[in-house]
Amino acid sequence: MKTMNTVLSCFLGICVIVTGCTKEPLKNLSIEESRIYITDYDSAADFTSYKTYNVSDSATVIDNGVATKELTATDQAYIDAVNKYMQQRGYVQVTNLQNPDIGININRIYSTATGFIDNGYWNDYGGYYDPYYWGYSGYDYYVPYSYSVYQITEGAMSIDLLDLKNAAVKGTIDLLWTGLIRGEAIFAPENADAQVKTLFDQSPYLETTN
Amino acid sequence: MKFSIFIFITIMLATVSVQAQKGTLKLNLNYSYSLPLESFKNDIVSNGSPRGVSGELMYFVNNKWSLGLAGGFQDYYQKYPRALYQTGDHETTSAVLSNSVQVTPILFKAMLMPCDKPAMVHPYISAGAGLGIVDFTQYLGEFGGTANNGSFMAQAGAGVQIPFSKTSASGFQIGANYNYISYKQYGFSNLNNLSFEAGLHFPIK
Repeated sequence: MKTMNTVLSCFLGICVIVTGCTKEPLKNLSIEESRIYITDYDSAADFTSYKTYNVSDSATVIDNGVATKELTATDQAYIDAVNKYMQQRGYVQVTNLQNPDIGININRIYSTATGFIDNGYWNDYGGYYDPYYWGYSGYDYYVPYSYSVYQITEGAMSIDLLDLKNAAVKGTIDLLWTGLIRGEAIFAPENADAQVKTLFDQSPYLETTN
Repeated sequence: MKFSIFIFITIMLATVSVQAQKGTLKLNLNYSYSLPLESFKNDIVSNGSPRGVSGELMYFVNNKWSLGLAGGFQDYYQKYPRALYQTGDHETTSAVLSNSVQVTPILFKAMLMPCDKPAMVHPYISAGAGLGIVDFTQYLGEFGGTANNGSFMAQAGAGVQIPFSKTSASGFQIGANYNYISYKQYGFSNLNNLSFEAGLHFPIK
């Protein structure tokens, strides 16, 4: 019987270990693997009809809906990378005063969500000290303020190509193409080139001829 | 005389075995390795899962047939290399795709052991039907979500039980099950799989 109990205990231990080894997908991702690259475009646009472009001289920082202009090392790295890959696709860089066909905005986007742990959380845990322990049997706990506040900030980098060539005729500045990057370490300047390259690689239609 | 003693002992062992089976409540505990099949393998996870356990509580209604409840847990996971996915009319997403599936079956099960004589090996066949609770999480990069639902599940299995001794009601077992799990989420059709089990059985009543 003792042997049986030992065998059974070992087996149950193995079962606990096996089920405890459940693969957690997010823990099995590298920083590079965490990122996603999304591109979308106006299918009516003929990208070969556009010849020149200009990238704005700074990035638009959109932080919870409030937009400002900044030029950090990250922003400059993205501007350089966009220039590099636009020129590889045949577009000619001009100044914003030379009526470029395409205007390019680079945006850093932050969205912060704020929350707090439910003040009634002790109701979910039987082990939380009963008010009796403090000598106040029958009393309820009450929290007159919010605490355990946490904030989660999500970031994204987007690149927008704007149709300046037809703006006067249409009366609007249409979006031609958008590239969006989300994930870990997207704001590191050293990652900018590879990330912009990925957006261009998955957009083979984005090219012109001179 | 010796022959008579042999016959007597044989009859006694058979009687012990028969008495041990009928009316016995047995617990089977298994380690489980599972191989996805068909749509599950082609569309969601192609890797085998070494992370599984199963258990059965079986009541022997007679010397051959037992009925009971079966449960378990199996974890499937696969990460696919970065690829392009069409996520809209003209929207393309480059991402590493991760699929994570956990299946918790709750089955009514019947088991037939054709051989009710004392022996070192007892073959069995089994069938079960019930609910498979499925947690399916899909990530593009680090972004994703989980869907939980209960699906119809049916199981057919075969294997052998090997008692610690010819007359022991406890022992080892190995076997295999074909598991049918209907799964109609996200355009998928099933989570069918083949599971291989090895474990222990012992009477608890």
